[in-house]
Amino acid sequence: MTSEQILTTDEKIICDDVTCPVCGISCDDIYVELTEDAVTTRNACVMGDAKFRELRSSHRIKKPKINGKDASWDEAIDRAADILIKAKRPFFFIGSETSTQAMGVGIEIAEHLGGLVDGNATICHGPTVMAIQDVGQVQCTLGECRNRADLDIYWGCNPEDSHPRHLSRHSVYVRGFFTQQGYKGRKVVVVDPRRSTTAEHADLHVQLKPGTDYEVLNAVATILQGFEPNDTVEEVTGISKETLYKMADMIKASNFGVIWVGLGIASTTGKHYNASMAMRLTQIANKFSKFVILANRGHCNVAGFNEVLSWSCGFPFAVDFSRGEPRYQPGEYSCVDALTRGEVDACFVMCADLGAHLPKKAVERLFKIPVVSIETAEGPQAFISDVVLPGVLDGMESEGSFYRMDNVPIHARSFCKPPFDFTESNEDTLKQLFEAIKRKEASASTTVDIRGSDTITKEAFARGLDKLVMRAE
Amino acid sequence: MEIILNTGSTAFQGAVIKGGRKFTSDYTREAAYCNINPEDFDALEKPWFVKVTNEFGDSVVCKAKKDDRQQKGEIFIPRGLWANIVVTPLTECTGSPKYKNLRVKVEKTTGPVLGPVDLMRDVYCKGKNEKEWQGEN
Repeated sequence: MTSEQILTTDEKIICDDVTCPVCGISCDDIYVELTEDAVTTRNACVMGDAKFRELRSSHRIKKPKINGKDASWDEAIDRAADILIKAKRPFFFIGSETSTQAMGVGIEIAEHLGGLVDGNATICHGPTVMAIQDVGQVQCTLGECRNRADLDIYWGCNPEDSHPRHLSRHSVYVRGFFTQQGYKGRKVVVVDPRRSTTAEHADLHVQLKPGTDYEVLNAVATILQGFEPNDTVEEVTGISKETLYKMADMIKASNFGVIWVGLGIASTTGKHYNASMAMRLTQIANKFSKFVILANRGHCNVAGFNEVLSWSCGFPFAVDFSRGEPRYQPGEYSCVDALTRGEVDACFVMCADLGAHLPKKAVERLFKIPVVSIETAEGPQAFISDVVLPGVLDGMESEGSFYRMDNVPIHARSFCKPPFDFTESNEDTLKQLFEAIKRKEASASTTVDIRGSDTITKEAFARGLDKLVMRAE
Repeated sequence: MEIILNTGSTAFQGAVIKGGRKFTSDYTREAAYCNINPEDFDALEKPWFVKVTNEFGDSVVCKAKKDDRQQKGEIFIPRGLWANIVVTPLTECTGSPKYKNLRVKVEKTTGPVLGPVDLMRDVYCKGKNEKEWQGEN
């Protein structure tokens, strides 16, 4: 979107080719018309439209809150800094739908305070990211899928619901450069235990038993390599051998195939082993035709968090800075595990709703510790937060870059201003918070610096990990 | 009845959460239901409401919906506050809880389905209206 595409009059702001900050596709063809009290969109899906309407919604959080009551911005930043400095093992959750620049500052604060840092990937495609580390991903951009792919395999995902414009923009229905026939020239396979709405578009629906993705993937890979899968596969997966052979034949017959993997493989039994097997299947399929695998990332810029953390400290998620250097261990430093064990004693949540999307045991911990949030609307996250800092809608009210689900960064420009003047963007909010933390540390007689101090590190660990520490010694 | 629970997103549940309407009745309508295969639905004696309980004994009440898209022996609850009461925090060393393929117990009940605010108060606030704040007010 260039500035020429924004038309501002006294009555309304009209802009074209806006980048949508909602799901992983980050559609960049949205038309928005903004008046004093209404928002009209074109091209946006039901989720995108709902997000753009937030610009003029009645429930937008416009004032900071401390302990459920309105407070001034300075008080809120001050209290947030206090909470994070006092904590022995602070936890930083960097959500999505915010700019990459803001994520960078969030990670910097976590490193400065020696905390844990994790992002939305951990409860989303974390296992898929682990599989990329294990096996490696053959991938391409969404544009290539649109222009070349003649076979789309949706494995454990239902883009009709999770990415409503997926089929019409990047896969099944769109006419690409080499796929002029649109849907007539493409084959679609859906692997899902439910007969989802996406499955209704499929040439082949593989309705497997839940939790048997690994076995089905393995069986197809076996067939592709010229061997016969074990006879037990039918009983274990609920899929007949004919169906498996049919799927293998479709892979062999294609010129360019894409496996779109969803949370159906990452959140079920097997987790990263499923994703690893899907990536191996992709590599094997490349012996017959060009084949790639892409993860259907649910949120805009959730891939960005993995990128930023990877380039800043070498690991994609679940990182602990308590010893001064980044250490990576999913299952130990990851959000759900650290909270469930009761190990963290303060939590900073930015642009994510942990209250609604974590399991009960983890949310119970959030009710016992001080929580600081950047939030745009009333909801479970604001409900459990001791300090709420009003959030800015990045990509609409402030510019920034978003990573699409194929790991391509897109620059999103802003077309309006936030409804308050104390901050310009989430990046600005975090920078102000970081300044406040540094100021407080400098003025305090005893500097709280967890980094480099063995005694404090052990105390922090002792809160939930005393047994582990004893074993290590 | 022992059954497999899958959770996942739906477009309309997505529209409610992206539109910041999590503390409205829209969220209850779009996320507090349970899709059940017709055969299982009949076996549960055609319930209006069902109670879903996980291995830790945590339970939640949802509206029951008959849905022939489900396979027999599986139920589906949209991602959200209600589903996550029964999702277990065991991550198998990946950081990701088991949002799918979760063994649960489902039974007919008389309701009611709690709204989002009431549910949070009931489950997490231990009878209070809000969180016990840390530090001075």
